[in-house]
Amino acid sequence: MAMPSNKNKNAKLVLLGDVGAGKSSLVLRFVKGQFIEFQESTIGAAFFSQTVSVNDESVKFEIWDTAGQERYHSLAPMYYRGAAAAIIVYDLTNPASFTRAKKWVQELQAQGNANTIMALAGNKADMLEARKVTEEEAKTYAQENGLFFMETSAKTALNVNDIFYEIAKKLVQAQTVAPNPSGMILMDRPADQAPPRTSSCCA
Amino acid sequence: MLIVDADPHRSPSRVSPMEPSPSSSLDFTDFLTRMRHPASADLFRFTNRFIVSFSLCRTNAENGSSKIQEFLAKIETIIREHPLWVHASDAEIENALEGLEKYVMLKLFNRVFAASPEDAEADLRISKKILLLQHFVKPDHLDLPGNFQIEASWLNAAKELKKINAFRSPYEKLQCIMACCHAISNMLLEVSKSANSSPVGADVFLPILIYATIKANPPQLHSNLKFIQLFRRQSKLVSEIEFYLTSMISTELFIINIDARSLSMEETEFQKSMESAKLAIDGPSSEPIAEVETYKDIISTMHCDKEIILDEGKYPFMETEAEDLTLSEVQDLLCSYKQLVKRYTKLSNTLHKLSSHEFQLLNSPVEHLICSDSLDKKGKIEPSVQKQ
Repeated sequence: MAMPSNKNKNAKLVLLGDVGAGKSSLVLRFVKGQFIEFQESTIGAAFFSQTVSVNDESVKFEIWDTAGQERYHSLAPMYYRGAAAAIIVYDLTNPASFTRAKKWVQELQAQGNANTIMALAGNKADMLEARKVTEEEAKTYAQENGLFFMETSAKTALNVNDIFYEIAKKLVQAQTVAPNPSGMILMDRPADQAPPRTSSCCA
Repeated sequence: MLIVDADPHRSPSRVSPMEPSPSSSLDFTDFLTRMRHPASADLFRFTNRFIVSFSLCRTNAENGSSKIQEFLAKIETIIREHPLWVHASDAEIENALEGLEKYVMLKLFNRVFAASPEDAEADLRISKKILLLQHFVKPDHLDLPGNFQIEASWLNAAKELKKINAFRSPYEKLQCIMACCHAISNMLLEVSKSANSSPVGADVFLPILIYATIKANPPQLHSNLKFIQLFRRQSKLVSEIEFYLTSMISTELFIINIDARSLSMEETEFQKSMESAKLAIDGPSSEPIAEVETYKDIISTMHCDKEIILDEGKYPFMETEAEDLTLSEVQDLLCSYKQLVKRYTKLSNTLHKLSSHEFQLLNSPVEHLICSDSLDKKGKIEPSVQKQ
């Protein structure tokens, strides 16, 4: 029988993606979703929390939004450090945002925690007439890189809850194999430590 | 899909994002009253013993942090089993723990806050850089969208952040950061609600936070952030609080590293802007550098006996009764006394020299720039005469 502490898991989830890809719209759709009834969620401008139940367990997502502008790129390691999951969002009407998303995947694979569950979200799936990134292309990329992929629409709510639910399911599965404490330990990080990319970015 | 509340008790310290200025929920007076209760004499002694032993050890902020974190964890166990708190509610126990953290950190504040020359230097460096950046950095440089380029966007946040040095406990300092971030967050939520526009998220939140920090130039930013990270109870640095603290730390990092590229400026333009800002600040007609405690202030504090606040972290026996002393503490006391006498003699001599120097400076306004330059390099003390 599972211990009570295993029933509730707090999971840090970081949102990465270009400006305008719809990171915040996506998460707001999830946090404010109409399925939610009697529960405590947090809605800020850049931090959100929402609980998802998987079978008899529940996962409380603590969602960290990041600034998508290139100039803030070097700060991202402070945000994705210790994350249990990451959603990398791109706008399927904007190929540049897909290129950026692929960069994020590479960076997370190189710098991030190997246990971080990564999801790729092709957002704005309601604007199919303006599509520039095919579903096939993104799907192939996701498969090659071991991500799971969904096309989402913050506007129509297509796949929004599903993508979070899938992550929750994977977190619960991963937890039963090896307990993976979520959240980061601030003590490990000296205050003046610069992320490794800073120097190259600001050269 | 069913979405339920996992466990509302998991994050008792969570501050609602709708609270504009989270005020301290800590009832410190209640805590002190309980500590004075005869039943908590053992607790009181245990705590003070820790403070004394901490003060006697050669510690830097980093290993001091693990000592204090360990102590706070230990005392949490003691309190939970203590007769005085046995029927107490979770909130009351939490209050006691907050009280203890505050009590210990107030006692050890001077010992660990900005205690190393490196910290002081980092504080000065970032503060001086912000002072220059204030002269030319515009919201555009940080990708702040046009509709947020109004003073109302950052004014309240900057005000909250400026208060950070008015407090000496990690909790209260952290509250200043939370209030600052909530001010921005609430403003963004209001705007997206009223304009019925799509939410903006961190793409706007972070630039505003950085801009507000530049506007505020909060004193000792580096030391304050380090102090919170090292001495706030670790179990409390989670979730939303952890997010906002991380945002503040990344803001500091961004500002430290600001160069032409991070502001999308031409290198020559950036250098020119920095130079002219320097000229504007150092020029005789400019405002004095306000954030540095001036030389004159230091002198006047030292001459004024009434105003001296004793640093009980450095002088641990100030409240100790003679009969409480153990043999090893007597030895420590003697050792501390000798050290103190040496330091005092040295300080008096230096002070005497500096006083006559100050007198000269005050009486020769023309020469003060040359003199103050040399003083600045040697003593890192900004000459107050610039105020004249």
